[in-house]
Amino acid sequence: MSDQVNESYDIEAIKAEWIGKKTEKTTGRYPVEYDPIRRHCHMVEDTNPLFLDPDAGKNSQYGSVIAPPVMAGYFAGSGPWPKKAKTDALANVPTRGERKINMNIDWEYLIPVKIGDQLSSQRELIDVFEKPIKLDPKAVWLVTETRITNQNDDVVAIGRNTLLTHRTPEQVSADLQK
Amino acid sequence: MTTVQTQLHWEDVKEGDKIPGYTLDLSWTKMVEQVSGSQDFYEVHHDPDFAREAGHEEIFYNTGFTQAALCRLLTDWMGKEGWIQNFSFQMRRMNIPEDHVQVKGVVTGTQVREDGKGAVTVDLWLENDRIGITTPAEATVLLPLRES
Repeated sequence: MSDQVNESYDIEAIKAEWIGKKTEKTTGRYPVEYDPIRRHCHMVEDTNPLFLDPDAGKNSQYGSVIAPPVMAGYFAGSGPWPKKAKTDALANVPTRGERKINMNIDWEYLIPVKIGDQLSSQRELIDVFEKPIKLDPKAVWLVTETRITNQNDDVVAIGRNTLLTHRTPEQVSADLQK
Repeated sequence: MTTVQTQLHWEDVKEGDKIPGYTLDLSWTKMVEQVSGSQDFYEVHHDPDFAREAGHEEIFYNTGFTQAALCRLLTDWMGKEGWIQNFSFQMRRMNIPEDHVQVKGVVTGTQVREDGKGAVTVDLWLENDRIGITTPAEATVLLPLRES
């Protein structure tokens, strides 16, 4: 997202140009692995054997350890390191500020994600709108939909994310003083 | 620490039932576990100066942590044969270091669907002892039917 603190920000033009744009379908850096699941479970003290115990997974209806459903997006990505060159077609949707907060997240889960699966994802911009918040009277909100598929091209999850972008208090003050 | 494992069936559940909750203490160690577990290195979740410069009171716990905490409530409760079909949540207010967070839920409806699956709708949330509910959420969980 670009930092456009200027008076020419035109939300209607941005809607017309950007809504419906999709990222390329990209494949996660690694297949679904045990240790990221273990770290995920550690942070919320989750001891579910379906996520942590290979024997329990093998004897379950899934025949394998599965990932907690909310990890689908993690395994469809590349992780923070080493950094990959940005080819995200939605990375430069114009906003007024570069500060951001995820606000609403909505997932539909269709099939389980198992150890060894190779997930891919594709994201589409569904909406852009302006709505004030306490920190920024001209905050810009982005809504995206992500489809996550496995190595068989089966859809495992569909997610919709509403991201709030805002300016720093200094940027808001500077804008108000114009 | 709780863990799963008596299997819950659709017939066991009725509207108004409380889902057994649990507590997470957001110590500074837990903050580090949050970054490790989510691999979210955005500074607003671990750098107090960065967070304050952005206008926030304090660093706050991230989306990955929040959804993991909510998801655990459901997966602990529904047992190994349950399935989370839909799950949504709103990051309305923040959970910050030193908060004591409780994860809670209540059954809002039950229905046997046309496809023969037992669906249960649930409201769930995170609340802390500083400001109350921070993260309301909703889910639809599929549970096995005894008679099937």
